[in-house]
Amino acid sequence: MVTGERAAAEAARRGEFTFCTVQYESGDWDSAPLVAPNIIDTIARYTAIPVTPTGVIAPLGGDALHRYPLAYLTGHLPVRFTEAERRNLKRYVERGGLLFVDDHNHDVDGMFHKTATEELTRAVGPLADLPNDHELYRAFFTFADGPPTTAHEMNGWGDNLVHEHLQATLVDGRIGVLYSSKDYSSEWNYHPDSKRFLSVDNTRFAVNLVVYALTR
Amino acid sequence: MEVSLGALPAATPPTARLVLEWTLRMVAMAVLVLALVRLIRPVEEPPTQHASGAGVPAALARWTASPEVRSAHVTVSGVPGDTLRDWMRALRGAGTALGYTQSGAEPVAVSAEPLADPAGGVRVWAAASTPVALADAVGLLDTLRPSGAGAALAARSVASPVTAAVPGVSARAGIADSLVLRPVLVLGSAGWEGKFAIAALEERGWTVVARLSVAPGVAVDQGSVGAIDTARYAAVVALDTAARPFAARIAAYVRSGGGLVLAPPAATVPALGALAPAQPSAPDRGDAGLLAGADARRGLPLGALRALRADAVATERRGDAVAVAARREQMGRVVLHGYDETWRWRMQGGAGAPFAHREWWAGLVAAAAYAPAEARPAVARDASMNDAPVARFVDVLGASSPEPRDAAAPRRTPVPWWLLFAVAAVALLGEWASRRLRGAR
Repeated sequence: MVTGERAAAEAARRGEFTFCTVQYESGDWDSAPLVAPNIIDTIARYTAIPVTPTGVIAPLGGDALHRYPLAYLTGHLPVRFTEAERRNLKRYVERGGLLFVDDHNHDVDGMFHKTATEELTRAVGPLADLPNDHELYRAFFTFADGPPTTAHEMNGWGDNLVHEHLQATLVDGRIGVLYSSKDYSSEWNYHPDSKRFLSVDNTRFAVNLVVYALTR
Repeated sequence: MEVSLGALPAATPPTARLVLEWTLRMVAMAVLVLALVRLIRPVEEPPTQHASGAGVPAALARWTASPEVRSAHVTVSGVPGDTLRDWMRALRGAGTALGYTQSGAEPVAVSAEPLADPAGGVRVWAAASTPVALADAVGLLDTLRPSGAGAALAARSVASPVTAAVPGVSARAGIADSLVLRPVLVLGSAGWEGKFAIAALEERGWTVVARLSVAPGVAVDQGSVGAIDTARYAAVVALDTAARPFAARIAAYVRSGGGLVLAPPAATVPALGALAPAQPSAPDRGDAGLLAGADARRGLPLGALRALRADAVATERRGDAVAVAARREQMGRVVLHGYDETWRWRMQGGAGAPFAHREWWAGLVAAAAYAPAEARPAVARDASMNDAPVARFVDVLGASSPEPRDAAAPRRTPVPWWLLFAVAAVALLGEWASRRLRGAR
């Protein structure tokens, strides 16, 4: 993963999709470092979308975030956004950015879930269940039952629940913030080479997420 | 006694009587010669009648009722009203050689047409050789200084009619049409440029149908693309080479009247590049630091448009570089811009960037869009509109002519036919009676 102005400028110049992980002041924002290369690999594997081979990290409170209209935020620990982060996130979403937030705990009573949803509500607006027939689930692959389940939902880890819906804040009919309690951060946090051991690629939903963000 | 009659002296008429008879014969002959000459010689034209200023209406009424007026000349200041203009035309049509001299009439023309933009708005065009004051039914809009092809003003709200005034002359035009706005088709690859171009147009009020290519043979459709023709789409926005499979259909669509907006990568498709007003060059790096400034587009990478075609018009420049150009392709219009990744303007720009980005994209589409007019008869019938008074006056009556110089010439009235007949008849009857009374044959 690459940080800094130079990498961002290079990615911008090439006009490629660049996977962005959001860095925030509180918590452990970098708890799933392999998600970015894994999703980049998936995008390159299934689509013709030009993609930057390495991801970038952008501070939630900084202007650099606006170079990446799709950004990923995760963590285990309690989240408290600064005022600058809230303000910047609101501006980001209102202008058309999509923030994908995933609870790395898979725990509805966990501190990340409680604090992150509270902060998102303060910054952008309340989250609501996203219907399982939403176009997100048909943007590339078809997920007829809504969001794919994760191994972490099934193995008793965390809250021991299979979450039937993702949650979202819609802005003018588009998803501005997508919130997941399914712990895709754990599900996708492995080296891309290990996909060959899977009978079904469990990162396919990431393609839908990226394609949706790029087209809606 | 034998009387010989032949010996009687012959009766001799008095000399004066013979002179009288001879004179009467000469008079009759002179009258006949005069009549013959009058028949052979062309009739002398009556003098040209003249009128000017406030006396013109009365003069026209007089000349209309007088068949002897064959030629007339009017001197007017400014532009006479439509009634006088048409009266002069009718008089000329009735056979009167009517000329005019015009002074104090500065040519001015105005046209107002609705913008092909769901947010509404009107573009007002004015042509004049001096500064022209534009106003609508509410009040003054602006003062323009036209040059070359004129000047235009786009306004969000304009109350019909629109008036363009120069000293002495005002042109008025109604906003006679509203437009039928069909959807816009966006073709490109899945990417931020397509996403935010679509967002800008939808937020502006356009219905957008899109096909965004994701992988070979896989595309994300928004709406049903269907046939590309003017019955379905107001404009096509081609963002990149993903439009290649549609290029032939787009070309036919444009030639039949459709509008096309090309982003630089799309102009590299040969069939689309053939329609483009110019060729985009490789983009510079831009200066992202300027995106938040007042002139945010200076921060975008720009591939200057070069090799501008002869029939193309540069509609936006950055310094000396052409940033946007447009041209007509048969019935349709093609707009090409040279900017790279305009979406960064919206995401990274200052407080008004989303609005400005939306306005700019809407402007590109409005400049190209096919939007058939829907006539509003109540406005179209308004006879008080005259969008180019001087031009229409000249169009109806021809160019002005100098005033003829025969104004002071005395009129010579020819002898009437009845008088000639009477004189000839009296002379001949007198001569005949005189001869008979004295016994001569």
